Amino acid sequence: MSMALKHPLIAGVVFTCAGLAHADGQLDRAMQDPANWAVQAGDNYNQRYSALKQINAGNVKKLQAAWTFSTGVLRGHEGSPLVIGGVMYIHTPFPNNVFAVDLKTQEILWKYEPKQDSAVIAQMCCDTVNRGLAFADGKIFLQRADSVLDALDAKTGKVVWSVKNGDPKLGAVATNAPHVFGDKVITGISGGEWGVRGHLTAYDVKTGKQVWRGYSTGPDDEMLIDPEKTVTWSDGKLVPVGKDSSLKSWKDDQWKTGGGTTWGWYSYDKDLNLVYYGSGNPSTWNPSQRPGDNKWSMSIWARDLNTGKVKWVYQMTPHDEWDFDGVNEMILADIDVKGKKTKALVHFDRNGFGYTLDRTTGALLVAEKYDPAVNWATHVDMKTGRPEVVAKYSTQQNGPDVNTKGICPAALGSKDQQPASFHPKTGLFYVPTNHVCMDYEPFEIQYTAGQPYVGATLSMYPAPKSHGGMGNFIAWDAGKGKIVWSKPEKFSVWSGALTTAGDVLFYGTLEGYLKAVSLKDGKELWKFKTPSGIIGNVFTYMYEGKQYVGVYSGIGGWAGIGMAAGLEKDAEGLGAVGGYRDLQKHTALGGSLTVFALPD
Amino acid sequence: MKKRALICSLAVLMTSVAVPATALSDPLYTVVDGYKVDPNTMQGFRTWRSAACDRCHGPNQEGLVGPSLIERLKVLTPEEFKTTVLGGRLAKGMPSFGENPKVVEHIDQLYAYLKGRSDGAITRAKVVEIE
Repeated sequence: MSMALKHPLIAGVVFTCAGLAHADGQLDRAMQDPANWAVQAGDNYNQRYSALKQINAGNVKKLQAAWTFSTGVLRGHEGSPLVIGGVMYIHTPFPNNVFAVDLKTQEILWKYEPKQDSAVIAQMCCDTVNRGLAFADGKIFLQRADSVLDALDAKTGKVVWSVKNGDPKLGAVATNAPHVFGDKVITGISGGEWGVRGHLTAYDVKTGKQVWRGYSTGPDDEMLIDPEKTVTWSDGKLVPVGKDSSLKSWKDDQWKTGGGTTWGWYSYDKDLNLVYYGSGNPSTWNPSQRPGDNKWSMSIWARDLNTGKVKWVYQMTPHDEWDFDGVNEMILADIDVKGKKTKALVHFDRNGFGYTLDRTTGALLVAEKYDPAVNWATHVDMKTGRPEVVAKYSTQQNGPDVNTKGICPAALGSKDQQPASFHPKTGLFYVPTNHVCMDYEPFEIQYTAGQPYVGATLSMYPAPKSHGGMGNFIAWDAGKGKIVWSKPEKFSVWSGALTTAGDVLFYGTLEGYLKAVSLKDGKELWKFKTPSGIIGNVFTYMYEGKQYVGVYSGIGGWAGIGMAAGLEKDAEGLGAVGGYRDLQKHTALGGSLTVFALPD
Repeated sequence: MKKRALICSLAVLMTSVAVPATALSDPLYTVVDGYKVDPNTMQGFRTWRSAACDRCHGPNQEGLVGPSLIERLKVLTPEEFKTTVLGGRLAKGMPSFGENPKVVEHIDQLYAYLKGRSDGAITRAKVVEIE
């Protein structure tokens, strides 16, 4: 098999970006060629856009299944394969097998089966998803469930180096995809429901040596925060965070088991040399037990790639009361914001607000609801940057052992990890969303190392007084903070979207359809029923002159669980409406990849 | 060590050679109006909540990723229930709670609560203590 890349013409790109950080030449070349799908989002900006246009809005209705591949694993299949130089790299949920498949023959070139303690499965309750692989320097990077980061030889599948990123016995496991930026592989940690203290860590691509680790909570030096230089949005401007910004926002040493995990998608602006990502919920889910803002859980971070030092940080949901993890992807795009050309960062938070920030400075520019059902806050105060919480939906105010009802969105957010897409021509964001509300009852819980540390009981159901479905697919103007169009879906859309230069938007549904819709209004152009519900991300590549579009199917993830919630028939007549029972009519477990192309 | 002793007794349970006498109360649970329960059963509910069983089995025990406990407790004996909870069924994603002190201490109360739900005597997941 040949790993040679097909377009030597773009080799010059490496030199143009060598100034700030040491870029990986192989990865940069692979990313520049749209025939490849070399990183999980197609690029480091998390745009999920492809320049390929053989498949377009006019001919997409002729799309046919070209080939399929069973992963041999049940449970939820998130993320997508990678395609580099005629080879596809396929990953699975736990046990995190990896296949290298020759695109010419569809033969398996090699298979890697890591040996992991099955006790990890339990720590990952309730699903053993993995969001995919990364490539650079002739290696494939696998972030295993048991927190071990493996670097595999892309030609043979042999382990080149391995490093342990956390202690699974304490609940520190992993579901995220590793990301390679420059000469570093960046990875995160899960376990916010086990009291894990979140961190983002950079390893050297060549050796696996740890370069830096920045925690989400705790002392300034451990977060790599400079009290004088790290800034945050406050009082209508950017101000230094000051000394002990995290320590002051927790009671005693609760920050040690305070969560703020980092299992989302990361992005990178090589001109600014900044890495962007979000931190998750504070532990526990019972807010009364952890007074304070709980910094810096629920925050957007900008860290220098070389040192990990924090340039700016912004907390979206201070003192979380609803499990609105801030981990969703940060999409970098140069767009018009209120009439001004801006190097923007756009983020659709679990809390139901779509945020637009200046990614250079960290200034807050736009924060608006991207689902009209959102009710826990009236708005975000643009001066303080803080949400105005509606008292009756405050689980802190209502207290432990009180069931706060009708909170929108539910804990799984108006959007969860399923990544959105940005189309440079329309300048709009295409966002898979959830349309689910919840009842939330916190209760007192004690921390025991290695045991669940949740502290709330939830019930979820379709947003009341709406279309009855649990999802919408929307187009969003991030410069204005407005929904452009919204297409109702029966279930949460838990699949990452893809847009292309052929002006087609693709996404999958929990019933198992891969859909192609119009960028203009969301009108369906084509759909195909794959073997199982889709929670994977749509990707595209070109091989021997032909464009392919593919997606994993394999129902699972929190979506499956969210669906299942609220079955109780007496829950104010809401429970039995949608739900898992309904989903069971459409699909069953099973992991596979389906790849489509136009007929010859 | 207490922990070790527990694991040994589990091994015995799993081979089903000998089943030690359980400490189940008699009656197993007391319930009034479908949701007011005796202190023992109330402790079972608290144990259910603190171990976050609902994340897999659903807020109403009707099943999510994990099976419906309303159904399973119609089939499992008290001993099988203990074996499953304390030993886990790792291949199926069921954690072992053998190292969770609260679950170990209150396994019989947990059984009483869930059996009450399964029997239909406790009509809603959230219970309160009889005053």
